[in-house]
Amino acid sequence: MASGTAGGAIDAARRRQTAVWVAREILPHEHRVRAWLRRAGAAPEDSDELIQEAYCRLAMLEAVDHIDSPYAYFFSIVRNLLVRRLKRQRIVPLETIAEIDAYHDDRPSPEQLAAGRLAYGKALDLIARLPERCRRIVQLRKIEGWSQRQIAEHLGTTEKAVEKQVWLGVRFLRQAWSQAEQDADDLMGEHEQRGGRRR
Amino acid sequence: MTGPVTGSGNRQSAGAIADEAAAWVARLDAEGWSAADEVLLEQWMAADPRRRGALLHAQACWVALDPPAPRARATVRRRGLFMAAGGAIAASVAGGFLWLAGGTTYRTEIGEIRRVPLADGSTATINSDTQIEVTLASRRREVRIASGEAWFRVAKDPARPFVVEAGQVVVQAVGTAFSVRRRDGGADIIVTEGVVQVWAAQADGYRTSLVAGQSAFFGDNAAVRISDGPPSAVDRALAWRSGAIDLSGQTVAHAVEDFNRYNRRKLVLADPRLAGEQIDGIFRTDDPEGFAKALHDSFGVPLDTSDAAAIRIGHANIVSDAEGTSSPMSLHQHGKETRP
Repeated sequence: MASGTAGGAIDAARRRQTAVWVAREILPHEHRVRAWLRRAGAAPEDSDELIQEAYCRLAMLEAVDHIDSPYAYFFSIVRNLLVRRLKRQRIVPLETIAEIDAYHDDRPSPEQLAAGRLAYGKALDLIARLPERCRRIVQLRKIEGWSQRQIAEHLGTTEKAVEKQVWLGVRFLRQAWSQAEQDADDLMGEHEQRGGRRR
Repeated sequence: MTGPVTGSGNRQSAGAIADEAAAWVARLDAEGWSAADEVLLEQWMAADPRRRGALLHAQACWVALDPPAPRARATVRRRGLFMAAGGAIAASVAGGFLWLAGGTTYRTEIGEIRRVPLADGSTATINSDTQIEVTLASRRREVRIASGEAWFRVAKDPARPFVVEAGQVVVQAVGTAFSVRRRDGGADIIVTEGVVQVWAAQADGYRTSLVAGQSAFFGDNAAVRISDGPPSAVDRALAWRSGAIDLSGQTVAHAVEDFNRYNRRKLVLADPRLAGEQIDGIFRTDDPEGFAKALHDSFGVPLDTSDAAAIRIGHANIVSDAEGTSSPMSLHQHGKETRP
């Protein structure tokens, strides 16, 4: 019993630690990997799957502290997954696989990496775009630091109802991130020098 | 995202998995997360390997909303303080990093290893059972180690030296990476990158430089013991950063002391003759059971695991005759690897 609980607590702490690291080092730059996948010819559903699988690899790590360049690490996982997927689809000629490395990713500069870590302004932006009730609850939870229970008492509702709004918030935020990514990608597409794939 | 399920039968779509993951994150964020919840979550994740990634993604989206500096310090025990300071946090969000001006305390529990980004771009990786205070002033970046150990990767800023105090011992760097462990009567310093200067607060003026690959013990009385081991020795000594204990010819006594730093369930060497034996292997810091099993397997010593608070290794009085001679005590055992 003791070891099970302790193990669970350690797992939970490790998961959270990894999530904080991902939020800081990967999430702000995920759109660059997505843009690269698109140039390399991956369909949107495939991109979703590959990205999810790459996050899965990160989630399996015992620790992330030893990773010196998180973006490059994440990118190389996605790249390897794409290569593996192309190899499985026998119809794709070998040259196509070799070609994917010709589509350069927009590797973030050190300044962009530093900016990504401080992208709290963007997070506030995203909160502002939530539907009203959801936004109010997320603000109380994240900016004011109230617990879900305190929010429920304050709003005269149940904790389950608050939890549901948090759920909607997380879903919305995920979509908002990818929407923001889309915007960034469109912007980048205009300046695209090397043509990957016609759109 | 929530497109139709394509291809193979009832395979869940990435979007559907992501929605379920979001529900788990909301649940995790609520009060009263229990061991039973943790088991349910583990079961959910185990059923499809993609779910683990979806949970990480959703959790990252959620924690990305946390104010950068204050949340890093908000451990469970600080909750009350954090709540009371709600207004102050909202203010500091608007004003950048005002919050840090007064100094920030980070504390880890036994077994907890935490990586904390500092506002200047440096990071502190804080070992088990440690307390440090960080003050980022305009002229100087100061860290005081009240107890325990931390490894720092320092962002270059020549105008603001990065100074770590551990008792009477002071370590200064501009842009480099090093660890400091406070001990009774001094501190251990390990340099992984660049150069640091070390001095004792009492021995005014006298400074020693340490370069990458060097480690040293500095006494409060300015006594210095520098060792130039092979580069791998430094990595081994800092394996805790990735949750590992890396043993290469260390004594069993040393290893036991190490494991007991990270775990509430203590290892007890009931057979003192085992203490001086050497052992090799890489173990997880949170796996004293695995280490005890390795001792059992390599030295043929019995284990007593009936006590939840301790694992007793070996009998105090008996030496098993036949087995004792057939498995030599100097046999090296390789433990399980922590990384794939």
